[in-house]
Amino acid sequence: MSSSPPPSSAAASPSCPKKMIALRSSDGETFEIEEAAALQSKTLENMIDEDCAGTPIPLPNVTGKILAKVVEFCSKHAEPGVDDESLRAWDAEFVNVEQATVFDYILAANFLEIPTLLNLTCNVVADMIRGKTPDEIRKFFNIKSIFSPEEEEEVRRENHWAFE
Amino acid sequence: MASLESLTEDLLVRIYKGLASDADRKSWRLVCRDFHRIDALTRSSLRVLRVEFLRSLLANYPRLDTLDLSVCPRIDDGAVAVLLTSRGSPWAFPRAAASSLSPPGRDPLAWTRGLRKLVLSRSTGLGHHGLEQVIRACAYLESVDVSHCCGFGDREAAALSCGARLREVKMDKCLGVTDVGLAKIAVGCGRLEKVSLKWCMEIGDLGVDLLCNKCVDLKFLDLSYLKVTNDSLQSIGSLPKLEVLALVGCSLIDDTGLQFLGGGCPLLRVIDMSRCNGISSCGLVSVAKGHEGLVQLNASYSLTECSSILLRCFKDLKNLNAIKIDGARVSDSAFKALSNCTSLVEIGLGKCIGATNLGLMRLVSGCVNLRVLDLTCCHSITDAAIFAISDSCRNLTCLKLESCNMITEKSLYYLGSFCLLLEELDLTDCGGINDTGLEYLSNCLELSCLKLALCPTISDKGLGHIASKCRKICEIDLYRCNGIGDDALAALSSGCKKLRRLNLSYCSDVTDRGMEYLGQLEELWDLEMRSLFNVTGVGLMALAAGCKRLADLDMKYCENVDDSGFWALAYYARNLRQINLSHCNISNMGLCMVMSNLTRLQEAKLVHLNKVTVEGFELALRTCWVRIKKVKLLAALRFKLSSDVRETLHSRGCKIRWD
Repeated sequence: MSSSPPPSSAAASPSCPKKMIALRSSDGETFEIEEAAALQSKTLENMIDEDCAGTPIPLPNVTGKILAKVVEFCSKHAEPGVDDESLRAWDAEFVNVEQATVFDYILAANFLEIPTLLNLTCNVVADMIRGKTPDEIRKFFNIKSIFSPEEEEEVRRENHWAFE
Repeated sequence: MASLESLTEDLLVRIYKGLASDADRKSWRLVCRDFHRIDALTRSSLRVLRVEFLRSLLANYPRLDTLDLSVCPRIDDGAVAVLLTSRGSPWAFPRAAASSLSPPGRDPLAWTRGLRKLVLSRSTGLGHHGLEQVIRACAYLESVDVSHCCGFGDREAAALSCGARLREVKMDKCLGVTDVGLAKIAVGCGRLEKVSLKWCMEIGDLGVDLLCNKCVDLKFLDLSYLKVTNDSLQSIGSLPKLEVLALVGCSLIDDTGLQFLGGGCPLLRVIDMSRCNGISSCGLVSVAKGHEGLVQLNASYSLTECSSILLRCFKDLKNLNAIKIDGARVSDSAFKALSNCTSLVEIGLGKCIGATNLGLMRLVSGCVNLRVLDLTCCHSITDAAIFAISDSCRNLTCLKLESCNMITEKSLYYLGSFCLLLEELDLTDCGGINDTGLEYLSNCLELSCLKLALCPTISDKGLGHIASKCRKICEIDLYRCNGIGDDALAALSSGCKKLRRLNLSYCSDVTDRGMEYLGQLEELWDLEMRSLFNVTGVGLMALAAGCKRLADLDMKYCENVDDSGFWALAYYARNLRQINLSHCNISNMGLCMVMSNLTRLQEAKLVHLNKVTVEGFELALRTCWVRIKKVKLLAALRFKLSSDVRETLHSRGCKIRWD
């Protein structure tokens, strides 16, 4: 493994221990995350600024399983000296999970305001939709709400004849 | 468990915005009610195809900022009046009745406040009354395009001048506009930044002067083909913010005028003075000396030669990235001077007398960043020059070698080895090219546009090589390539799925089998297939049924296509906009079906239809006179057609060309 260049923006100097933030998931699990990684989330950044980061921050909307992965994502993206290509490859592996998990990631990224994770996951879903017919999209995502036959006919007609 | 349906609306909007293609967005809106609503709330631009849908579309898409009606037939004062009433009018547009998909209580005129850009190009049926109504209603409109509404004149210009917030006006080919009309626009639209008046030949120095006085924010001005003189250049020189100036074909301008320009327009970046007979190197020197920020200079077919002073000036232009001096006499020392301009990305040397191998080698030794090079009709260059070009300019994306008949397959070997970013290659009339050359060329995987017209030495085999590897091909020109037949089309249909434009004219070996292969190309929208004697109705049917997007079809001289083909065309080819049926054996009934069923047809060439009688033409023209915009007919028909038909066509703004 090649040596990584020194960090350009140090979250903490090597002599001080890195500041850790504690997070508690909805099902009671506690996780620790470096402050630098936590700053990827605007929500956490605000909380750290307001100095409520003493006790574990409760995150009622995120389960332990997902929170663990989100912490992993933020830590990886806060790592210094990772080149773009390997980060992209890591991201691709990260989202190579089942559909429901991707949606959990989206909801978590939205709640915690993590723009990198949100963009990544939304693009993944867009990729899943690309090239599919409406029927295939419904089946793939198990979408239950549909149109009435008249409505569907109207939309279909518009698609075909009305505009481009 | 989280699902797509558990996402909030703003998250769905994010995902929707990740879908770039129109097809995907259309699939999205057909999935379910929620997705349909997301599409309705997010879509910002629409190109409407049929006027029946216009009202409901405008009501259901509240976030529209751009509306393109250029391909929508029957846009006229009546249509505008209906659109701008706040009550629904079911008798005019039946589909405008309230649908369960559009929420109730929405103000049907909300769209007028959101609209920023309106495209009415070729809306020849619209008059000044309707135009004024729509401009006044859309109070925040910033950009309007009425180009090619050839009947537009000063009254329509006055209508446009009601748009006080307009920043961009395109009036190319509005042939009736004079200085009076332009003056009205200049006074009414003081915030104008971009004005295009190409071909508005009634406009002269007076109008331009007033425009420059009133619209001081102008950044872009196109006065191509106008009869403006040096006085206009004096007025233009006073514009402090002008960045782009086009004066193509302005033959009354000369070097004196260019001196005015040299002293003014400090921010000028792009100047196009091609086809201006009156200017010379001297005038261009004054422009170049005054504008160190110049980025593009186009003097094609204006200069007889490029003086050494001018060439020295180019070196001082540090940002210069495009020069076109087509038609000028150049020497080897000229190329040496040009090679000092290392920032150059694009060079046009078409029909340049004196372009030799040596000169080009000198040029590319310095200009290594070249991406676009035009060497049309530089007859004396050979493979040696192409070697130098490919070796030095590895980023080459576009190379034009029309009529360079000493080029052989070796050149294609060099291109295929070194210029792997090549996207566009023009080998029209290059008699030295062969199938082996095409095999070498197929290494250029980025190739998207390939012109091989008039190359009799290539065959299906060569094209097969290209088709198997170059998957990004969008456009191929095989005009009069006698060696091409059905097998080439088979290769194209399986390899080049993105093919959009194809020219097969005079490739007479093509038969119905080839047409069937073409039917598999779903993206094909422009096909020229003149004089294909071996194609019959069966072939045309296969083509029409498969190529649903076909918009432009030229089948002049396809004499063996019978009515079964034309009926299929009338049934399937619903997106057809332009058609050339001259010299085809279509019957009265066939013509009537085609002209009446194809509701998007705007332009038709119908010369020498030997089986169609005068009554046949009458009937066919009557069925489409509400929407046809241009039609070409045999001159003899002029006095045989009823005045009724001719007058109605004229009043709807349709242009008739008599052959």
